[in-house]
Amino acid sequence: MQDIYLLVAGPLAWAAWAIFFLGSAYKIWSTLAVAKQKDQVLLNYVSFRYALRSIINWSIPFNTTNMRLHPVFTGVAFFFHIAFFVLLIFISAHQIMIEEGFGIGWVTLPDIVADILAFAVLGVCVFFAVRRVIRPEVNYVTDWTDYGLLALVTAPFLTGVLAYHQVGDYMTMVILHMLSAEILLVAIPFTRLSHMLLASLTRGYIGSEFGMVRHVNDW
Amino acid sequence: MRHKLYGYVIFCSVVLCVTFGGIAAFAQDTGVFKLETFGSLERPVSTFDHDEHQEMDGMECSDCHHVYENGVKAADQSSEDQACAECHTLKSQGTQPGLRQAYHQQCKNCHVEKKAGPVACGECHIK
Amino acid sequence: MKERVWIQDEGIDRGAEKLTPERIEKTINAVLGNEAGARLKAYVETCAHCGLCAEACHFYMSRDKDPRFSPVGKVKQTIWEMLDKKGKVSVEFMKQAVQVAQTECNLCRRCVQYCPFGIDIAYMMSLVRRIAHKLEITPLYIQDTAHSHSATMNQMWVKDDEWIDALHWQEDEIREELPAARIPLDKEGAEIMYSVIGPEPKFRTQLIYQAAAIMNETGCDWTMPATPGWDNSDMAMYTGDSEMMGRLKRMHFDTAARLRVKKIVMGECGHAFRSVYDTGNRVLGWRMPPVPVIHALEFYWDLLNSGKLKVAKKFEEPVTFHDPCNVVRGRGLHEKAREVVRAFCTNLVEMYPNKEHNYCCAAGGGVINCGPPFKNARVEGNRIKAEQLRATGVKVCIAPCHNCHGGLEDIIHKYKLDIELKFLGEIIYDCMEKPNAV
Repeated sequence: MQDIYLLVAGPLAWAAWAIFFLGSAYKIWSTLAVAKQKDQVLLNYVSFRYALRSIINWSIPFNTTNMRLHPVFTGVAFFFHIAFFVLLIFISAHQIMIEEGFGIGWVTLPDIVADILAFAVLGVCVFFAVRRVIRPEVNYVTDWTDYGLLALVTAPFLTGVLAYHQVGDYMTMVILHMLSAEILLVAIPFTRLSHMLLASLTRGYIGSEFGMVRHVNDW
Repeated sequence: MRHKLYGYVIFCSVVLCVTFGGIAAFAQDTGVFKLETFGSLERPVSTFDHDEHQEMDGMECSDCHHVYENGVKAADQSSEDQACAECHTLKSQGTQPGLRQAYHQQCKNCHVEKKAGPVACGECHIK
Repeated sequence: MKERVWIQDEGIDRGAEKLTPERIEKTINAVLGNEAGARLKAYVETCAHCGLCAEACHFYMSRDKDPRFSPVGKVKQTIWEMLDKKGKVSVEFMKQAVQVAQTECNLCRRCVQYCPFGIDIAYMMSLVRRIAHKLEITPLYIQDTAHSHSATMNQMWVKDDEWIDALHWQEDEIREELPAARIPLDKEGAEIMYSVIGPEPKFRTQLIYQAAAIMNETGCDWTMPATPGWDNSDMAMYTGDSEMMGRLKRMHFDTAARLRVKKIVMGECGHAFRSVYDTGNRVLGWRMPPVPVIHALEFYWDLLNSGKLKVAKKFEEPVTFHDPCNVVRGRGLHEKAREVVRAFCTNLVEMYPNKEHNYCCAAGGGVINCGPPFKNARVEGNRIKAEQLRATGVKVCIAPCHNCHGGLEDIIHKYKLDIELKFLGEIIYDCMEKPNAV
């Protein structure tokens, strides 16, 4: 068990992060390279100022028309994305591992707060799944990959909560937790989770078109 | 009578001392560390069986009760008479790890090296 | 869900008869693989299938929130399937994809404003149209218009002499009211080239009359071309015929260059503005139009603010203002337009949502040009606009766009709204100071 633990906590984690970073860099680079080759007509219209204007306006909760049209979803979606990174970075257990590995540390969340956030994130995952089933406009464009990606995202949180509360066999759970997180990391650049990387590009491009050419807000 | 009373007081004192001393000694042996430094604790305190570790083959007291001089472990010195927290402050200082990190490293590094003993959080901090 | 109605169209059917699976596969992969690039890839890989674009679409809202009419639903019925099957789709599928992309999307780009990632679904629908164009399964009526473009360089099969004749006729007419007025033909070195769309000389000549009145009475140095190139409209843009779009725009800009004008002013048309200002110039390799392009709304605003255009009387009846996508979401002219409307009208009643969040007329994007076979579906697909219009309670709607006029006229008729449509130029013509009038 210790060997497996050390494998997923060590070499596999390194591999996952390496694939994530290299894959992400490749994803962004290849997108830009293809754009340069084939979409010059598009690149010519990219304006840093209007791209930023669009990105900022879409990063403020309830700032855009559509966000106000869907207040519940907006709140939930913003919470989910923020909580995802807050938990990843500020959970004490993660920070301790980083501190012991790299000697750097920062403030951490009290475990009780992290625990509540993690449960809330699990709730959000259920919300996303239920929404996919019951909202016809979402259900119509949903296929198994959407549930697959949602499961991929849910898994580290579920196993993390179970491991923290030491439900089930602890070692199995903590290994699954790290393994599922590593799979998620690897999946990001190569699935639709790559919206994490590409959203700012698509947003920036359309923001530029709306701002520079069309002189109108895109939110 | 008066001598008998003195004898009684002395006897009681001895009994009390032995009892509390024993309790104190017992507590230390089952591995409750001096944790005041941490303030309130996030996780359950890890249990540590001092005797079990002491009796292991090849274990020296100074493996854990070490003394560092200028960042180098002094070969023939040990520090059984000191609490970890006397050197290891809450925050790390230079190459000297902070108290929490010191505990973690002291246990885990050896467990990894010996391929035995707990390494994951919940293996020591059991709820 | 209601059963999907697939409409018979002669152009689609006849083209489909000549299709083979190999040709479909080859064409789809040529367009999606070669012509489309990083943008399509990023759009497909970024879309989280969240469905948040649905309520942006008037078709979706008007069809009781049928998910097959949501923007992403249309992508699923077209692009996704083509990509998933790597172009190996059936003839039947292609016929349906044409209906979706060519008649159930106005390319109004409202959904772009509702997508958290800013995915341009209109662009993807344009790609489907491009594929249909290459497969020769474009709906009959709009293809006829595109043919007219390629044969005559105008949208309505207007012959060269008929065009000049129409202008002379309007000049004759206007001189009864404004004796010194001219419609200067081919005047080299004029400041303004005024261009219109094919339907104006064909059956809306009064608009040329009104524009001429405004030009003359505000003392503009203007001209209209006497040669092909006078038509700024562009249905080729909407059938995916990029090559033809390039030819059309080139002729238009070349004409402006030949006349050495400082700017092109366009009549009240939305799609033509999109073509000249946004799309056609790109096909020709111009980042922005080589000659500044001013839409009528902006032109009126300029005239009003420079004091050349003066208000003689106010239009008293309450009016509402319909924002055409291509000049509002396409150029942000909604505030300027309102300033002009308020200057000439006493009571402007707004529709909501409005301005850059307007609902489309459901006619634009070449949809009305697909003709009678699709008319009922189109009108049913814009109940929401009818409800919006009805809610204003007004009897006059200003719609500064030809396609919007067509689309709104149809819903006004179908939903029995007692509303009269007007171009803004009509109201200006009626209410402006005409110092030279007799």
